[in-house]
Amino acid sequence: MGRFKENFNLFRKNRLGMTGLFILLFFLLLVILGPILPRIDEMYRPMTGVDKEILWSTPPSRAHLLGTDFMGRDILSQLAHGARIAFMVGISAALASVLIGTLVGLVAGYFGRLTDTLLMRLTDILLTLPSLPLIIIIAAALGKQSLWIIVGIIGLIGWPSTARVIRAQTLSLKERPFIEAARVSGASNFRIITRHIAPNILPLSFLYMTFGVTGAILAEAGLSFLGLGDPSVVSWGMMLQWCFTTGHTFRAPYWVLPPGLSISLVTFAFYLIGRALDEIINPRLRER
Amino acid sequence: MKKIIPLLAAFFLISGIIDPLFASTLKIGMQDEPKTLNPFKASDVWSWNVIGFFYEGLYTRNPVTFEIIPWLAEGDPEFDKKTNTCVIRLKKEIRWEDGVPFTAQDVVFTAQVFLDFKVPRYISDWDFIEKVEALDDYALKFYLKEPYAIFFTGTLMSLIVPKHIWEPIVEEAKETKSPLTTLLEYEVTKPIGLGSFRFSRWHRGAYVKLVKNPGYFASGRKVKGKIVGPYIDEILFKIYGTTDTAILALKRGEIDYIWWPIQPGFVKDLEGNPKIGVTNNPENGLKYLAFNLRRTPFSDINFRRAVAYLIDKDFLVRRILQNYGERMDNVVPPGNGFWFNSNTPKYGKGMSRQERVKKAVEILERGGYSWKRRPKVLENGRIVKGEGLTMPDGTLVKPFTILTPPADYDPLRAIAGLLIQEWLREVGIPVTSAPTSFGDIVNKVNTEWDFDTYLLGWRLSLDPDYMRTFFHSKEIVRDGYNSMGYSNPAFDRLADRSAKELDEEKRRKSIFEMQEYIIKEAPYIPLYTSTSIEAYRKDRFTGWVNQLDGIGNGWSFLFLKPIKEGQE
Amino acid sequence: MNLGRFILNRLGQIVITLFIITTFLFLLFRMMPGDPTSMILDPKMPPEAKELIRKEFGLDKPLMVQYLYYLKNTLTGNFGKSFYYPETVLEIVKRKLPPTILLFTTAVILSYLIGLPLGKTIAWRRGSRLEMGATVFGLFFYTVFIPWFGLIAIWVFSYRLGWFPIGGMLTPEVWAADVGLFPKIWDVLYHLILPLSVLTLLFFAGSMLLMRNSMLETLREDYILTARAKGLPERVIKNRHAARNAMLPVVTALTLSLAFSLNGGVLTETIFSWPGLGKALVEAVLNHDYPLAQAAFLLLAILVLFANLLADILYAYLDPRIKY
Repeated sequence: MGRFKENFNLFRKNRLGMTGLFILLFFLLLVILGPILPRIDEMYRPMTGVDKEILWSTPPSRAHLLGTDFMGRDILSQLAHGARIAFMVGISAALASVLIGTLVGLVAGYFGRLTDTLLMRLTDILLTLPSLPLIIIIAAALGKQSLWIIVGIIGLIGWPSTARVIRAQTLSLKERPFIEAARVSGASNFRIITRHIAPNILPLSFLYMTFGVTGAILAEAGLSFLGLGDPSVVSWGMMLQWCFTTGHTFRAPYWVLPPGLSISLVTFAFYLIGRALDEIINPRLRER
Repeated sequence: MKKIIPLLAAFFLISGIIDPLFASTLKIGMQDEPKTLNPFKASDVWSWNVIGFFYEGLYTRNPVTFEIIPWLAEGDPEFDKKTNTCVIRLKKEIRWEDGVPFTAQDVVFTAQVFLDFKVPRYISDWDFIEKVEALDDYALKFYLKEPYAIFFTGTLMSLIVPKHIWEPIVEEAKETKSPLTTLLEYEVTKPIGLGSFRFSRWHRGAYVKLVKNPGYFASGRKVKGKIVGPYIDEILFKIYGTTDTAILALKRGEIDYIWWPIQPGFVKDLEGNPKIGVTNNPENGLKYLAFNLRRTPFSDINFRRAVAYLIDKDFLVRRILQNYGERMDNVVPPGNGFWFNSNTPKYGKGMSRQERVKKAVEILERGGYSWKRRPKVLENGRIVKGEGLTMPDGTLVKPFTILTPPADYDPLRAIAGLLIQEWLREVGIPVTSAPTSFGDIVNKVNTEWDFDTYLLGWRLSLDPDYMRTFFHSKEIVRDGYNSMGYSNPAFDRLADRSAKELDEEKRRKSIFEMQEYIIKEAPYIPLYTSTSIEAYRKDRFTGWVNQLDGIGNGWSFLFLKPIKEGQE
Repeated sequence: MNLGRFILNRLGQIVITLFIITTFLFLLFRMMPGDPTSMILDPKMPPEAKELIRKEFGLDKPLMVQYLYYLKNTLTGNFGKSFYYPETVLEIVKRKLPPTILLFTTAVILSYLIGLPLGKTIAWRRGSRLEMGATVFGLFFYTVFIPWFGLIAIWVFSYRLGWFPIGGMLTPEVWAADVGLFPKIWDVLYHLILPLSVLTLLFFAGSMLLMRNSMLETLREDYILTARAKGLPERVIKNRHAARNAMLPVVTALTLSLAFSLNGGVLTETIFSWPGLGKALVEAVLNHDYPLAQAAFLLLAILVLFANLLADILYAYLDPRIKY
């Protein structure tokens, strides 16, 4: 606990990291706002609710603080719902890829030899491939536009960078005396990995997760924008796709700005936090 | 300094000086470039937008009334009912653009290619033709196996290709292992036609340029009180990937017309622009919901009708189309006046949400359905959702899906699917809308028959023969168009009769009756047809012809005249 | 090991990688439903015609036979026929490759030209307002949602200000008028500016931050301290000693940043209607033109793999300590 407090104090000193945190807090408030709005009035349901009086896209008004989309749906409600989707997509896809990456890195680093060679070859291949085109191709080939399938694909593509770092860390941990001691005392591989190595690399995994969230949110939004997303879910990318395909891009700034800015800000925030954590975990980067 | 001068010159060239040089160039924005200039192969709208200028048919349709008028032919076809033959005379003095005269031999040759190769795009208009004979250079005789109404509306309107150009290509193709593939794969680099414009140049990925055909045979002819042109010297097709960029280009005067329908969202902004005109024309299309009649409960007409009542078409038109469209209670669009039967049942028209639910519950109950919790409409109008819908045989209705196209294809239909899902769930119908890639839907629906319901659309032809294609039981084959498995012998007989009826009034009666069958039995629930909104420059050309589907039709380009400067 | 052997070795790895990718792509697309006929819904087209098309593409043959054909096609670089266009895939990608290389390489080079000196400077002036500003500015664009940013750039610079064309790579009127080579080059440059600027803005932060971190690590090396102690001028320490050594890890990191910038390239090409491989890939996917999508992806992969090889060779060249 003391270590956490110490680290948090370090984090607090990092201005960029704190900026990221505040941006995130803002969007978390938006997530909370999401389910409240439809309770106020049915027309605030993000997908199916429409304002009875409004038949087209209108600029901000008292009933619709950010205006309405082409069929009279409230943009603020959509934005709020989109925030929840963004966190959901970002965190679950990043979690998936970090889990895979950590596992691959651990196994490769710990067991070495052929396992290591094979796993790392695979990692290198995936790492050099441009991920967005790969995600686009897989999503298209699967043909089903479901949010969870998209999350799955992003998770399956995004693990190699984590794997590489975790492997390097595992390799260096493996040589430490306390691992040697555990081995001598007859601990099984499984036990050594879970009890001794894993706890030491978890902070690193966590760090890679914050970067992973950035990538995942951008990837989902990119897919949605291209029309390969799940049109039954109100995500920020889908809001932009609607704005774009109904011809409002250059006519409705109140509609095109919020989702795009939200995507950019949330990913920016996660990235800032990731960098701040990076400086804490990798003290070499810290200011002397 | 020496280097700067050409640089400046280039800059000025780009930024304006070129404009007066191309004063009568009609610049058209397209979303994609043509895929091919091979008229046997082309099947997409972008290719046809270009190829359409090169070739003509024996007959064509009047721009306003749609009645059939002779074009390459002279006078009406002389059909002999006893022998099922038809004599057609050709206009003389028509030449291909390379100077070779157009004769009956070209028509015979073209027909022979269609029939010998069974060219997919054309064969359905030709497979009832026994043979075509040239009586002399300017007279032809068609021998029909059976009379077919589409002989006049399809066969005689097919394009004719020049024999002297295509004969060597065709002969060579016949020698190969797969003649049809060879013919379709043949790459046309310099098309020779006889249409109003000639091919000039195609820079892939950027533009296609056409120039006026000075010897166009129809120039100076009078059609509907107007003298046929063309009055434009050149047409330049430019490619704009998105509607947004095309609209910007239109505003800047970089193009004069966008050859695809724009979304309602653009209209308000464009209407305020004095230099830009916006037109609305009904589209000859149909968006519909179809059922797989091989499965329960979709095989039950009561279920289908209940669904039909629950779908608020007016809401879809008002909200999703933003009133740029019309509800459809028929599979023939109202814009197709002659063949449109306005007396088909109109499920749920004018009903409120509550009335729809009541009506659907009533139909389902009468059909023997029950609920674990019956849906209710309370006094204050609140609807209590139903649960556990049970079929007459006592089994629960299993959850099913509506396949809807994904956002890249048509985001609006994906939303329509979701709204329909919500409406059906109110009476306890366990449905989920499933956005699925277009190819996947077609595969599931037409090839595998593995689906519950789906939401797609058709672009239709003027001739209502498509009803036979969609609903005749002979189309219940792999890749056939009756994917629903709708089979009604009475309808089949009617459809066969209508296809062979050459008397328009009599045929119209059968077609009307067919429409009633379809709407009453509801294998399709027609939803809506959209309005085609198009934008063009008012200050550059005048004379656009409004038609079903829009102003991008052959007649517009024949009548368009440039506006001279200061003459607005 | 000498450099020749090293390159040969790497080439071998590239071939294996490509083989794995090709096989993966084949399996991916053949296992999925749908074929070229799935995009054809034309009531005038009789059902038999669809069967014919399947035959034409060899889709009626057993999977193994298809795979062998596919391998043969890919090996001979001919990629088969496009489902959507009447040309072979090779003809299409041949046309799409140069625009991508033009946009992509200039953007990467430009972003490095901007990023490296900036990174050097902000590492040197640690904690300054400049560092803060450059980092925030750079990172914002580094994580910005590209299609949205691209659209806004078009809105502001093309639409409102009218400085640049709205998209595409050339002005048809110029090319149709046969104006000679120079105006054509100028015309392409004129179209290139906006997408290039956007891409550069998106990428430069990557190299800038890499350079900064690497520079910071170098600065605490002993030889820098020694140089300082010797009283060498700061500028000399910064440029001669620190920066040169800090470059090495940045060059390695090029590997990763290349793949990353291709991601941006795909979206940027689509937004700016730039007729390159990325846009072709997206369109092929939307048209269900799998042969073209596969080939476009494969080419993008090859592009990255060879760029990596180049980076490795460059690394060897820069760092004399490395012996292969």
